[in-house]
Amino acid sequence: MANAKSKEKPSSPIGASLQRNDVYEKVTGSAIYVDDLQFGNKLLYAHVLRSPHPHALIKSIDTSKAEKLPGVKVVVTGKDFPERMGLYLKDKTIFALDRVRFIGEPVAAVAAVSEEIAMKACDLIEVEYEVLEAVFDAEYGASEKAPLIHPQLGEYYCPNYLFPKPGTNISNHFKIRRGNCEAAWKECAYIVERTFHIPHIQHVPIETHGAIAMMDEKGKMTIWASSQSPFAQRNIIAQALHITQTDLRVIAPLVGGGFGSKAGVTMEAIPAALATKCKGWPVKLMLTREEEFFTNFVRQGLTTHVKVGCDKDGNILALKNVMYWDAGASTEYGANVVRAAGYSSSGPYDIPNIETDSICVYTNHPIGGAYRGFGMSELHTGIDQAIDELAEKAGFDKVTFLKKNAISEGDIIVTGMKMHAMGIQECIDNVAKSIEFSKKEEPTSPDRVRGKGIAIMWKAPATSPNPGSSAWVELAEDGKVTVGLGGQELGQGTFTVMAQMAAAALGVKYEDVRIAGPVDTQYSPYEWQTVASRLTWSMGNAVRAAAADARRQILDVVAEAWKENPEDLDIVNGVVVSYKSEKETPLANLVIYGLPRENNGGWIGGPIVGRGSFMPQYITNLDLETGQGPRAVVHYTVGCEGLDIEIDKNTGKIHVIKAAASFDVGKAINPELVKGQIEGGFVQGLSSALFEEIRLRNGVMTNPSFVDYRIATAPDVNFPLDVPFVEVPQDDGPWGARGVGEHPMVPTIAALGNAIYNATGIRLDGPPYSAEKVYLAMYDAGLTK
Amino acid sequence: MINPHPGLPELEYVKPATLVEASQFLAEHNGTAKPFSGGTDCFVRLRDGVLKVDYLVDIKGLDGTKELSFDPKKGLTIGAAVPMNKVATNKDVIAHYPNLAMAANSVASYQLRNRATIVGNICNASPAGDTIGTCMALDGVLNVHGTDGFRQIPLNSFFLGPGRTVLKPGDVVISITLPVPPAGMVGVYKKLGRNTIGDLSIVGVAVLGYPNSKSPSGYTFRIALASVAPVPFEALKAEALLSEKKITEETIAQAADIAMESVTPIDDVRGSARYRKLMVRNLTREAITEVWNQLSK
Repeated sequence: MANAKSKEKPSSPIGASLQRNDVYEKVTGSAIYVDDLQFGNKLLYAHVLRSPHPHALIKSIDTSKAEKLPGVKVVVTGKDFPERMGLYLKDKTIFALDRVRFIGEPVAAVAAVSEEIAMKACDLIEVEYEVLEAVFDAEYGASEKAPLIHPQLGEYYCPNYLFPKPGTNISNHFKIRRGNCEAAWKECAYIVERTFHIPHIQHVPIETHGAIAMMDEKGKMTIWASSQSPFAQRNIIAQALHITQTDLRVIAPLVGGGFGSKAGVTMEAIPAALATKCKGWPVKLMLTREEEFFTNFVRQGLTTHVKVGCDKDGNILALKNVMYWDAGASTEYGANVVRAAGYSSSGPYDIPNIETDSICVYTNHPIGGAYRGFGMSELHTGIDQAIDELAEKAGFDKVTFLKKNAISEGDIIVTGMKMHAMGIQECIDNVAKSIEFSKKEEPTSPDRVRGKGIAIMWKAPATSPNPGSSAWVELAEDGKVTVGLGGQELGQGTFTVMAQMAAAALGVKYEDVRIAGPVDTQYSPYEWQTVASRLTWSMGNAVRAAAADARRQILDVVAEAWKENPEDLDIVNGVVVSYKSEKETPLANLVIYGLPRENNGGWIGGPIVGRGSFMPQYITNLDLETGQGPRAVVHYTVGCEGLDIEIDKNTGKIHVIKAAASFDVGKAINPELVKGQIEGGFVQGLSSALFEEIRLRNGVMTNPSFVDYRIATAPDVNFPLDVPFVEVPQDDGPWGARGVGEHPMVPTIAALGNAIYNATGIRLDGPPYSAEKVYLAMYDAGLTK
Repeated sequence: MINPHPGLPELEYVKPATLVEASQFLAEHNGTAKPFSGGTDCFVRLRDGVLKVDYLVDIKGLDGTKELSFDPKKGLTIGAAVPMNKVATNKDVIAHYPNLAMAANSVASYQLRNRATIVGNICNASPAGDTIGTCMALDGVLNVHGTDGFRQIPLNSFFLGPGRTVLKPGDVVISITLPVPPAGMVGVYKKLGRNTIGDLSIVGVAVLGYPNSKSPSGYTFRIALASVAPVPFEALKAEALLSEKKITEETIAQAADIAMESVTPIDDVRGSARYRKLMVRNLTREAITEVWNQLSK
């Protein structure tokens, strides 16, 4: 009875390096991105008039000349859309109202029948400014001397886990007071104090931001956007425009690079605002590369003062971090980066006494938003380099020191939560072995010096306390499966991983699962945002639940028809089998039409639709003064990176000989994709460590192009990179999986800084470790002529 | 203020059929017309609003601009429309002017070099031009057509300042001729960029040397530097030292010091003046040493 199909040994799609399900479209170029969408000859083009001043009052705006220009459909300014918006702290408006706060801030916008006319109309808008004193330094900005950038801070909506200080430029001051640092310093045999500066950097997605918005005659709006957050955009933009969420539909085609820049709302609200004034006309805005650089989210700058001490046996006793974040003109999103860095400020170390002040400061710089790592790269750049020096000072081999002080399962961590099982010791061992960390090696040329560096990290998904995921699973007559989800494919491979999970949970082949895309808030189930390395874990839990729900429905139908117990049935490669009666039937048809009862007794079942949702329900807020609470985060992903480098004594150029990155991913659902994420993250981390820096002079970005904002390209990463992963299962993750999307770029700056120190004895005060910076430091120290 | 919406302005594309026509048009539209070949520089500058013209005059297709030929007596002629990748892979170039291939390969990226030309690199007169120094050290001569007909301009008297040359209204550079290199010539180009490919030079150093019985040292060296002076710069004093003194490690270091002292770089987003000066010294020393190691074999 049983045919060959169901007898094939089912190979689990979980843990298999299956081919990506979007590979054909992406390789052939047929994949659809937002700029590919066609809107016919009614399409209007938007242009934005932007502030030329870092800080000024708007005295008047005259749009009359622009409005009269033939071809102009709409001109809007701040007074048309006064509602404040933001993902966390609602401190920004779509257009500046009475004050501009950074160079590039939108002041007005035009929709016209051509780009040229829209641009010309912007030139005709007359704005009178009164220039104000600006703030370009976070520590100064936090002081009483600085002019106020948001005098109305006290009136803004703010969630109860952020702590703004009205009457200052501080929009969030997150504190940890754990143990007693003051007493602990006296017990320390060795103390290291260091200050580091981490510059602003930019995400530089190859696809710049773009969005098209159209409102129909009845007031229902559709936005097509290159987006990591279609649902968050629906929520935030609907509120800003005073329409209901149901009347705002966001359609999000594939994304050509996000890295956090396309999370929350940035420029998408501009075409939406214009579209409300020209119903029936689609309005399109694509950012130029220059706009991408200086008008959109950046990674905020940081100055961090680190003090860390240990006893004579090498036990770290106390850590103090004072972090001033140069968060820019709005901190609606960035205020939570500051919080995340605060509640994780111990790093993956077991330290009994911790004092942290993580201070989010408004400045007249571009707006800081989410950036791969969400504060963790900056935090670890400070603590991991200070601890590197502490190990040396205390006379310890670095690996021994790290392993001795690394967090363990059951430890009470910085916020008072108990640490879960994870494999940081194994990560450290993997990296130390891979780059032969303890082996001192000679440089390959007398013109070079050689050194090795290592750093560990942790990161938790940084979100609101209750970010939800949901999914549905349905089947067609052919027995194949379609999965509905709201998380976005950013290149990380999430559609592939979700198909693998659905296939495994349902009992079908991976090849027989499709993802319903593009994500469309009208048809796709809710997903908070594609951020925080959370999809494999959170959306994975929802997809797994939806597939299990569909499976349960199918087995109930078959069990009833066969008069068997569902416990004796299974679905294998798309065929329902009974281990008891050895009967079998394919999923085809039965998942739509059900099965007939015996003796013409009617039918059982009907179309199968499985549903699943997931939301962490165990996150609690932390005490305002101490940062302590039962559970600040869902879990942490930990890891370690190391580099073996040489520095050219004649130029200061750094050459990586070998590198290793080991992360505890819980369970690698698709090992090849995990490897790709780790390699890509390491390269982005190295790029930020060697090259990347937004050069700001009086609020002006002086390098807003790829000519002078350098990023790593393939020839810069021409070295072996070893990525052995560790798999200690996560209790709340599907098949034990946890996220690893952001983590690989988190410890890279610190690991490289430690390698430079190892090679030269010089501790530089922050990235980028450009050839010039390294050479001049060596020259001034007399290490090279 | 940064222009957030740069874009190509409206302009007219002109494709003259003959050199005479080209020179005439350019002379008649002095200041509003510019000759172009690969366009890799001028299109970017037009988009950024740095360059403003009404006419772009395409010189590809004019007589002599596609020539790439080597004559054992006259040397190498490279037409103004010959892309750098063609030069760098030409067997005569590799055999007789390997340092030129090296310099050409250091420019921008492979994709850009499918369009970019050596004559274009020279005519832009950027202090950072990577192929200019090597062409100067090889005593290159430009073949120019102007309103008065043909003439030749030696490269070492071509540059006046950043972006400024001795070219007159109506001039079209047809090609560059590099004489047959001296017997036994060895040359290198050292480029320091911020990352491995695609960058502009922080410093570029072209060095060549050859045996010369008339020199007291027995050798002649030529040293040309990029990105460290208002115009591509030949370090004559350092060259003189290497011709006068016996070549030793110490002489080379001295020559490198002299080269460093002779330049006047600026601070910019790519590098500080201080770093640039030190890099002139170090890379000149490296380059001379590499050339010397081969010469003295």
